[in-house]
Amino acid sequence: MNWVGLQMLRHDRAKFAAMVVAVALAVFLMQNQAAILATMLSMTAAQIRDVRDADIWVTEPDVECFDQVKPMRDIQLQRVRGIPGIAWAAPLLKIDAIGRPEGGKLNTVTVLGIDDASLAGLPVRMKVGRADAIRELDTAVIDPGGHALFFPGEPFRSGRSVRIHDRRIRIVGISDIAAPFTGLPMLHTSRSTAAALNRGEQHMTSFILARSAPGTDAAEACRRINGIEGLRARTTAQFAADAMWFYGSQGVPMLFMVTITIGLVVGAAITGQTFLMFVKENARQLAMLKVVGTTDAQLGRMILMQGAVVLLLGSCFGSGIAAAVCDLVRSQPFLRSLYLPWEIAIGSCIALAAITGIAIFASFRHVRGLEPASVFR
Amino acid sequence: MNAFQNLDTSEATAVRCTALRKHFGEGDARVEVLRGVDYTARRGELSFLVGPSGCGKTTLISVIAGLLDTTAGEVTLFGRNIAALPDAERILFRRANLGFVFQQYNLLPALTAAENAAVPLLAAGVRRREAVDRAAALLDRLGLGSRTGAYPRQLSGGQQQRVALARALVHEPRLIVCDEPTAALDHATGESVMELLASAAVHPDRAVVVVTHDNRVFHFADVIAHMDDGRITQVVEGRQAAVAVSAH
Repeated sequence: MNWVGLQMLRHDRAKFAAMVVAVALAVFLMQNQAAILATMLSMTAAQIRDVRDADIWVTEPDVECFDQVKPMRDIQLQRVRGIPGIAWAAPLLKIDAIGRPEGGKLNTVTVLGIDDASLAGLPVRMKVGRADAIRELDTAVIDPGGHALFFPGEPFRSGRSVRIHDRRIRIVGISDIAAPFTGLPMLHTSRSTAAALNRGEQHMTSFILARSAPGTDAAEACRRINGIEGLRARTTAQFAADAMWFYGSQGVPMLFMVTITIGLVVGAAITGQTFLMFVKENARQLAMLKVVGTTDAQLGRMILMQGAVVLLLGSCFGSGIAAAVCDLVRSQPFLRSLYLPWEIAIGSCIALAAITGIAIFASFRHVRGLEPASVFR
Repeated sequence: MNAFQNLDTSEATAVRCTALRKHFGEGDARVEVLRGVDYTARRGELSFLVGPSGCGKTTLISVIAGLLDTTAGEVTLFGRNIAALPDAERILFRRANLGFVFQQYNLLPALTAAENAAVPLLAAGVRRREAVDRAAALLDRLGLGSRTGAYPRQLSGGQQQRVALARALVHEPRLIVCDEPTAALDHATGESVMELLASAAVHPDRAVVVVTHDNRVFHFADVIAHMDDGRITQVVEGRQAAVAVSAH
């Protein structure tokens, strides 16, 4: 009988299409908004996660995320290096400055000064050039979004320069790091070059990157560092989570949740209403099926199958559109980090199925209450 | 126990209604539709149930078919009291032993003629290919062999009613209940549908009960029971049936 149900669904093309489109739009809206939210939160921790060689981040106690900078005295670096279980520790200088390419416009840039000796925190992946080329004074590698902003429409290449304050910084490579939450161009340079750009600042250490020694748990090493007054150590995962929580608690996720909820409710309402209407309009046919001996269980399976097909098709279309849009948007350098986690793709479909399931259940109740004798009227 | 087992195959009576009462609503809204109906239909006969609109014919066949519960009285089909069957068994009993023909055909517009005729087999769990093949073969015997793949909207009223007849016969039921099978058809078409019903449906082991007020087809009846105001008022058998009831 499931086959009969599918034929009935296929026959009423207008309602079938309306239900599939409603599910597809709802799934697309939910996945798109949830993907943007997830990406934004992920971007708040992107620069932390991009540092692969260190597993411990040390900051001033009040610092909650990568974009909060409170410089530390250089002596703190020595203290961290002296903690048992720390294999190495290196400073990382982060400054914001105004940059301008030749003949281009001014723009705020984030400059990351990497320890000249160890190069700890250097980008792992490069699109153009070699990251270690920044050892040369007044050179830097720039992220793809920064390159697109400073040199719009130009292919990725090294050799161009950006003036920051009174220094000309030569671009020696294009890094392949995740897009920063701030959207600012991200320049990785040597700490000595960054220090020269850091006017008026006495302390040249924004973060201390450290690596736990083999056999020492990073969390345990963090506990030891936290015993030093004026320092706060976190594992990379903890610091990334803190950063996401910091931005996530600012209210922005609520705005996205509103849109996601609207998508869920509207999609489920349209789908549910149309499905219920579809079943009610077919009441006479369903009553006839009851008369000829179709059981409520068979009709229930039939309705469940109809609902499942609508949800499956709609979810596939919606997810496909969401993935395609995501892929399209990612081609823009500033939005390159946009991604659609599979958990969101599956979760949105399940959420919609659960809500629409109520309509399917209501439809089944309606069919169960159908008086077979009504077919004679 | 299977619902189809222990059917009385020896007795000539297929349907027996005894002191059947049925009312709808309660209090001031209470309507007595059947007021003590005693009725029988025998195997191998085409039994007509006639009477004015609102006299309770449709309610009576609904009760006989197990689609409505009785208020009082007893209905036995082939010796089996169907009111005593649990709901689930009653459905299985109906699926196996009853076929239906409706005034408005009630074909599923999404299915072809053969698929529509195969619905009772599909409901019984027969594989689709086999069910449709059996239905197509039956349609061929009913003169619709060339239209098995047509959808209801592509068929005339008479052809649709033949498909409905095939749907009523395809699972070889012991009782066929027809509700105004010719009411939506012109005289010639109605006549041919009744001829088909009389030739294809009537069988020594099967009873056919037809509710109608179309006196143009009364001559097909073996027995005509006249109903009025919720009671059987007259039963006429044999050749006098049409004449007697028309006069009535």
